Amino acid sequence: MLSPLESPEGILVTAAIRDISVRKSAETHLAQMEGRYRGLLEAAPDAMVVVNVGGEIVLLNVQAEKRFGYSRDELVGQKVKNIIPQGFAERIISDGTRSAAEALAQQIGTGIELIGRRKDSSEFPIEIMLSPLESPEGILVTAAIRDISVRKGAETHLAQMEGRYRGLLEAAPDAMVVVNPGGDIVLLNVQAEKQFGYGRDELVGQKVKNIIPEGFAERIIADGTRSAAEALAQQIGTGIELVARRKDGSVFPIEIMLSPLESPEGILVTAAIRDISVRQAAEADLLQKIDELNMSNEELGKFAYIASHDLQEPLRMVASYTQLLSRRYKGKLDAEADEFIAFAVDGANRMQRLIQDLLSYSRVGTKGQELLDTSSEEALQRALVNLRSAVEESGALVTHDPLPTVLADGTQLIQLFQNLIGNAIKYQKPGVPLVHISAVRNAAKQWTFSVKDNGLGIEPQYFEKIFGMFQRLHKREEFAGTGIGLAICKKIAERHGSTISVESEPGQGSTFRFALEGVKGSHASQQG
Amino acid sequence: MALEVLLVEDSPGDVRLTKEAFRTANNNVRLHVATDGVDAMAFLNQEGAYANAPRPDLTLLDLNMPRMDGREVLARIKNDDSLKTIPTVILTTSTADEDIVSSYRLHANCYFSKPVQLEDFESLVKTINDFWLTVAKLPHEDLTAAVVPKDGKSLGE
Repeated sequence: MLSPLESPEGILVTAAIRDISVRKSAETHLAQMEGRYRGLLEAAPDAMVVVNVGGEIVLLNVQAEKRFGYSRDELVGQKVKNIIPQGFAERIISDGTRSAAEALAQQIGTGIELIGRRKDSSEFPIEIMLSPLESPEGILVTAAIRDISVRKGAETHLAQMEGRYRGLLEAAPDAMVVVNPGGDIVLLNVQAEKQFGYGRDELVGQKVKNIIPEGFAERIIADGTRSAAEALAQQIGTGIELVARRKDGSVFPIEIMLSPLESPEGILVTAAIRDISVRQAAEADLLQKIDELNMSNEELGKFAYIASHDLQEPLRMVASYTQLLSRRYKGKLDAEADEFIAFAVDGANRMQRLIQDLLSYSRVGTKGQELLDTSSEEALQRALVNLRSAVEESGALVTHDPLPTVLADGTQLIQLFQNLIGNAIKYQKPGVPLVHISAVRNAAKQWTFSVKDNGLGIEPQYFEKIFGMFQRLHKREEFAGTGIGLAICKKIAERHGSTISVESEPGQGSTFRFALEGVKGSHASQQG
Repeated sequence: MALEVLLVEDSPGDVRLTKEAFRTANNNVRLHVATDGVDAMAFLNQEGAYANAPRPDLTLLDLNMPRMDGREVLARIKNDDSLKTIPTVILTTSTADEDIVSSYRLHANCYFSKPVQLEDFESLVKTINDFWLTVAKLPHEDLTAAVVPKDGKSLGE
């Protein structure tokens, strides 16, 4: 490209030169000019043609010869219309309304797409860039001519593709960008324009790195070890979290999903781009809430533990001294005093049990051990040892099937058995209490444990309620208790990722069930 | 001969309960009380108001007390050649594993948690009496003082 030398003085000079119009001197000028510009012309990558205001070719380079299929001599002095039939000569020739300089001035610096014609009459699309060149002959026009048939072809494909996919792209809720194997954006939808803050024209033909600086182009471009198709194949269908950059330089988190699109240009990549800043903020918010919740739960657990532990101390004093009082002075004061003391002793005792049960309840959460391979049969035996006096007093018959090794907190499993069997013996009608413990594999490959009794049974409307804190179905005079035992069972089951449920028929007995994760390859032990 | 027991306990209620329980368990026990670690060390070292205090046959030591707690008292007793032979038994409300382990690390002779029920407490005091003050052979105060030289090595070594 030659820089313009246009100036008002030059134009004036041009008019003077035309008036002299001596061919000889023109030839001399041309020879001089040719000598001066030849090197420049030949260095240009494009075909270059210099045309005078009469529309005649005065100079050209080798590229131009090749492009149009003529030799230099065949073109010099010929009308430029021969090789560019339309749109060129008209642009540089003066007409009734403007001078040649004015006509040319309008064209400077913009690419004009026209049709070129070769010597064999075949045509091809060209883009020309014009610039003026002052000479004694008047203003000459230098035209840089670029063959754009390859680009045109690609554009046609794209246009076709765009036509085909436009509806699809625009229908997508996400920003969609289609990228060629070179990492250039070839197509995008309105969502993408909005999301990145660019107009379509600003993005088409640009590197995708401009809007997704890292992690995208690398994924689709071939390298030494893989082809573009292979590179892409690895990414299909998985969401990739990256960072995107808007026109204003601000960044935001995105998730992209890639899919291949075959085209004459090669494999194109369609990227569905989703702004996940809201999702990420929500996720971060959720994580924080979970943290807070865990912390407040932990604090609550600690509080319950410390409170019940510290309450125990003064209560131990109250209970001990009311008992001493009762022991030493029963019958020595009047009947009313005995009654008052009895109430005080009873109240203190109940409160002690309540606090102890609360402590056990809070310990399930705060003092839990790791879940390990645990023999449920052994846990059952330990529970029965702890229950020995209750079993003996009631005359209960406790039987069980072979029981498996499970994933459990051993101490808590003992307590679970102990509470359930303790209840089975406690809530009985006259007769021999029968309790049977068994375990079967369920559909989820866990062991479902059953503790079945022949006791009082429970009305269906209480099936849920009994597992709640402080829930009792009987008067204190009938059965003592704090109403925490089954709540502890429920909490233990939940800590093991399980639930506890009851099935019962009033008067016939109840069956409590809970499930525990089995240990791989273990079976119920053989001892009955 | 009376058995001298030092009870280191800051709760008057517990002091009285322990007294009552010993009264039932063994009439021959003289129960002395220190209400914190500083008092206890003064008693053991026969300092100040405790100049005439007897050497205890058994010390019952609470862990959580003001001024100087039971852990420090225990450490001082077991690091003192003249005091380390006194059986020192922890009697506390704590059931925490770390308290149990650290007490034995400091050479506590035994560790008991105070039972919640009066009857259980009485029976514990009876057990302590039966074992430490009845069955167990305790070191004689004067003799132990004689056989331990100043460098801390016993004569047998």
